[in-house]
Amino acid sequence: MTSQGDSASRPAVLEAQGISKHYGGIVALDDVDLSLHEGEVLAVVGDNGAGKSTLIKALTGAISKTSGVVKFDGVETQIDSPSDAKAAGIETVYQDLALVNEISITKNVFLGREIVRDDWLGRWFGVLDFKKMDTEIRSLFGKLDVRIADIYREAEAFSGGQRQAVALSKTVMFGKRVAILDEPTAALGVRESKMAMDLVRSLKDHGLSVIMITHNMQHVLNYCDRVMVLRLGKLVAVRNVKDVDGDTLVGLITGATEAGAAA
Amino acid sequence: MTQLDSSTAVSNPGSEAGPFDVLKHNFLQIWQVLAALALIYGFFFIMSEPFRSFDTLLSIFGQASILAILACGTTIVLISGGLDLSVGSIFAVVGVAVGIFMAEWGLPPFMAVGLGLLMGAALGALNGTIQVITKVPAFIVTLGGLTAYKGLAEILASGRDLSRFPDAFTFLGTGNTTPMIIMFAVAILTGLFLTKTRLGSRAFAIGGNEEVARLSGVPVAKSRIYYYMLGGLLAGLAAIVEVAKLNFAMPARGQSYELYAIAAVVIGGTSLFGGRGGVGKTLLGMFIMQTIIVGLSYMGVGTSYQRIAIGAIIIVAVYWDVWRRSTR
Repeated sequence: MTSQGDSASRPAVLEAQGISKHYGGIVALDDVDLSLHEGEVLAVVGDNGAGKSTLIKALTGAISKTSGVVKFDGVETQIDSPSDAKAAGIETVYQDLALVNEISITKNVFLGREIVRDDWLGRWFGVLDFKKMDTEIRSLFGKLDVRIADIYREAEAFSGGQRQAVALSKTVMFGKRVAILDEPTAALGVRESKMAMDLVRSLKDHGLSVIMITHNMQHVLNYCDRVMVLRLGKLVAVRNVKDVDGDTLVGLITGATEAGAAA
Repeated sequence: MTQLDSSTAVSNPGSEAGPFDVLKHNFLQIWQVLAALALIYGFFFIMSEPFRSFDTLLSIFGQASILAILACGTTIVLISGGLDLSVGSIFAVVGVAVGIFMAEWGLPPFMAVGLGLLMGAALGALNGTIQVITKVPAFIVTLGGLTAYKGLAEILASGRDLSRFPDAFTFLGTGNTTPMIIMFAVAILTGLFLTKTRLGSRAFAIGGNEEVARLSGVPVAKSRIYYYMLGGLLAGLAAIVEVAKLNFAMPARGQSYELYAIAAVVIGGTSLFGGRGGVGKTLLGMFIMQTIIVGLSYMGVGTSYQRIAIGAIIIVAVYWDVWRRSTR
């Protein structure tokens, strides 16, 4: 891949400047900048309570930000709700909030963006076009090598790895530009984690730039291009992954290493 | 259990679930309910001589049909994770209103029916709107609706003789068959709504995990208002059929119907906690409940004891629902 190394020189897809989030007197996120370049995987790391989830929720409109500006392709974009983010081409996989257990894989993938029939039944009554959704899902799963045989089964019938694969596939189907992933391997075993991370890597091949929260330093070093470190709501460092090792990262996260120049 | 399921689900990549699998899947979901129905029906069949006639079976359906129409609406609301305790009172308001439209205003039946349905829908939508705006729990909002709408029905009806309606109207409640036909039509439409349409299928997602639905871009609040609206509409339709059947309207009708409807829905296997269920299950649940009521009366058990029996069954059904959830 050409992406390793010089991703910082490519144009930015998504930029955020001065993002803050206050809960009453508590500052969860303090003046954080972020830039995501075309075709890179950007890791966001930090200890519990560092503000990682708050940052992506503020970026995607899941929570309202106290202050800050989000630019998309250099143009300031108002993102106040999950729908705004989706309209801008940002697709998010939230931790524990990716799929509804009770409904089928098909309905999960198309939830909120169901395809209705192209006739009066669809227009007047919102009758769904199952055939079309079926075809699109099968071709998507085929393309990404996701093995889900029975797409009409409820999501709860599948393993954590399969569920994560479905959630990640959703970003390829709908995310036009950016995929944001909140700990995509949090609940997965070793083998399933590797499958999920390979899938994350392949998101790049489908034209997506990726922001990924993770606790796993190996995943940062093996799968990401750049890494930003948050501590207690503040951005403490941004590094090219090829310039750091695991110990440095852990030092930055805990505060043992003082941050120097940012990449 | 879950692990086993997932391994069988991938063992055969690319295979498609045939219609037989779907049938089997549905049967596995309801076989316990069917077995319970068979047991209960069998019990009364053995215990009571007059219960064995075909007329009894027909009257079970006939009596169940009005409540079943209302329960179709309850099914939608419960699947979406909502609760509407006020449908019994909406039933009373619409019944009285339709009576006034015809007996006092002299409106033609089709217009009275149309206005009555609109009224039911509006009252249901009002519940939903108050709930999504104030975020007061559905239980409280619709409990308020239960009392308030009941009062409204009494005010509307006071000092009025609402009876002797035109034949073109009372035909809607002829015998057991017309209400039954309306019930099946409503059930089929509700089933199609829940399984084939965008709004209907979203009820399962919202009831299953509201937050995921919201993050997926589903307009949760707006959808909820529609579900309550449909619940109110079907309560109104049930009231219209009953007024037509009785040929009079009074505000005391519809009392506790919301509880019987919830009972039937839960007995049938729709979850009280949202996300799962279906209208076929509701019909089964209603049939079970009505079989018990009719069977007990044939055995000479009084209404008070029947109520105790139904109460006990509701608790058992909900306990079963809770137990099934915990073992998943």
